[in-house]
Amino acid sequence: MSNAAATASSTPLATTTLPARKRFPVLARFLENRLAVVGLVIIVLLYAAAFAEPLLATHNYAEITFGNRTKPPSSEFWLGTDRSGRDVYSRLIKGGQVSLAAGFAAVLIVMTIGTVIGAIAGYFGGLIDAIIMRFTDILLAIPLILLLITAASLFRPSLRTTIIVIGVSSWPGAARLVRGQFMQLKGLEYITAAKAVGASPARVMAKHLFPNALAIIIVETTLWLSYAILLEASLSYLGLGVQIPTPSWGNMLQDGQSELLFGAWWLTLFPGLAIFITVLAFNLLGDGLRDAFDPRHRSR
Amino acid sequence: MQPGLWAYAARRVIFLIPLLIGLTLVMFFLIHLAPGDPVTAMLGPQAAANEAMLEQARKNLGLDQPLPIQYLRWLGNIVQGDFGNAYSFNGKPVLSLINERLWGTIQLQGISLLLGIAIAVPIGILSATRQYSAVDNGVTIGSFIGLALPNFWLALLLQFWLGVQLGWVKTISTGQADAPWSERWRYWLLPLIVLTLPNVAYFARFMRSSMLEVIHQDYITTARSKGLDARNVLYRHALRNALIPMVTVIGLQLPRILGGAVIIEQIFAWPGLGLLAWTAIGKRDYPVILGITLITGAAIMIVNVLVDIVYALVDPRVKITEGGGSH
Repeated sequence: MSNAAATASSTPLATTTLPARKRFPVLARFLENRLAVVGLVIIVLLYAAAFAEPLLATHNYAEITFGNRTKPPSSEFWLGTDRSGRDVYSRLIKGGQVSLAAGFAAVLIVMTIGTVIGAIAGYFGGLIDAIIMRFTDILLAIPLILLLITAASLFRPSLRTTIIVIGVSSWPGAARLVRGQFMQLKGLEYITAAKAVGASPARVMAKHLFPNALAIIIVETTLWLSYAILLEASLSYLGLGVQIPTPSWGNMLQDGQSELLFGAWWLTLFPGLAIFITVLAFNLLGDGLRDAFDPRHRSR
Repeated sequence: MQPGLWAYAARRVIFLIPLLIGLTLVMFFLIHLAPGDPVTAMLGPQAAANEAMLEQARKNLGLDQPLPIQYLRWLGNIVQGDFGNAYSFNGKPVLSLINERLWGTIQLQGISLLLGIAIAVPIGILSATRQYSAVDNGVTIGSFIGLALPNFWLALLLQFWLGVQLGWVKTISTGQADAPWSERWRYWLLPLIVLTLPNVAYFARFMRSSMLEVIHQDYITTARSKGLDARNVLYRHALRNALIPMVTVIGLQLPRILGGAVIIEQIFAWPGLGLLAWTAIGKRDYPVILGITLITGAAIMIVNVLVDIVYALVDPRVKITEGGGSH
């Protein structure tokens, strides 16, 4: 390493020929982590499948054929049919579209609220911080699932309700994280300098603090995506989330569980496997990103 | 015992009071924000047509009062230990309903928590002391898998495989109370597996990183270099300090653990708080939902304060001078 640095300083041209891993250390560290790369590849494939749903589906996901109720996997119905005679494979792909989109939208709400509130608490500190943090203390003490089920049962269950309920009740964790990062950064000299030249609080937060907290926000977003997909699946499984005939992996599990007793394993196995793989992939990616952004965190 | 610890503990305990009041406020207004009428839910569809009957029922329950008044009355009752009567469940007092079910949840969750820690700690130590070995990689991948498995899915698959196909275990808990002791394990096995697995995955991962951090500290190097054998250093010097952060994690995991009870108890018809919550939500039984949420929320807050105090007690490096004391 010191050799490389010495060469670089003695020959000015060397800066342009630096190996890729020196120019993009974060990317290099990320690519070294095989599990994280596997996670990324799975996620890309999942999103590709969701976007290509019209091309990949072999049947209409909502089409009911009474002659084909609860049929095991076959050459016509690759993953079998459910108890209303709908094609499980086509529903799984459509369900993936729904679950991924729901997770994405919910996390967008979580991270937006969390970042704004966390930023305000961390930047201003004092009384504002104390009030916000005590409020997050309260929300964090209520088990999220209990809060979600209560909220979801109060309003008419639908895809939109699910997204809003997850988004609005899950931000405190993200807010705490962003707050911590902002508090750490705001004491640094460049922030004092920015304030000294008259930058407004909003400008300091958006232009100077936010970019430096971005790494941690990206990692948190990835991990939250896995969690939100799991939460959506849980809610839909309980019948409080996405409603049939719109498929989601969670409500497919719910719809299939009564048939499980009669041996229709394919109705339970495949949607659950899809949830498992997706959650696993996001966790691997999030973990890999965290190590890549912050090498000190490695091996933890 | 360090000076100021008592003051710190007292401050944390006093700080609980506004937090608990905040908890009651949040839950009360969340529930009353909702559309839907508890009186209709309570009396059934026939009564819904009878406006006079509905009006009378609302008056009896105090639902005709403005919300702030309803809240203050309700808070006053709660402080005196009266959580009101359930709308459904034959109008039983909420507290006695919770009392009946609390033990079921504490038993199941307590055992799966202890079991999880008992399995995870040795795994974490093994993994940390053989960092980057095949064992360590296996543990890492295993804990990723354990954390990603939706445990309600696992519950369904095991119910089918071990319960329906092989017939080794009971798929649901109904009838457990009448079963002889030698047969009880058949009811416990599936819920325990399903609840313990994520605990093992989570705690093993944490134990590994906690142990790694300690192993690489100077005092361990010192102990090794003065000639103590590796086992001795590991178990007498490293392990004790690596276990301390585990205390905090258990406190922080409590909401997840108690929340998970709702789904798993529903799948296994386990007579616990989670199943009670689930039934109450279906019936829009506000007093029961509020009672359960408040008691779980309060329990979590109190446990977290206790954890912080215990932490300060056992780890003299923890600074207790900073006010409020957030996690």
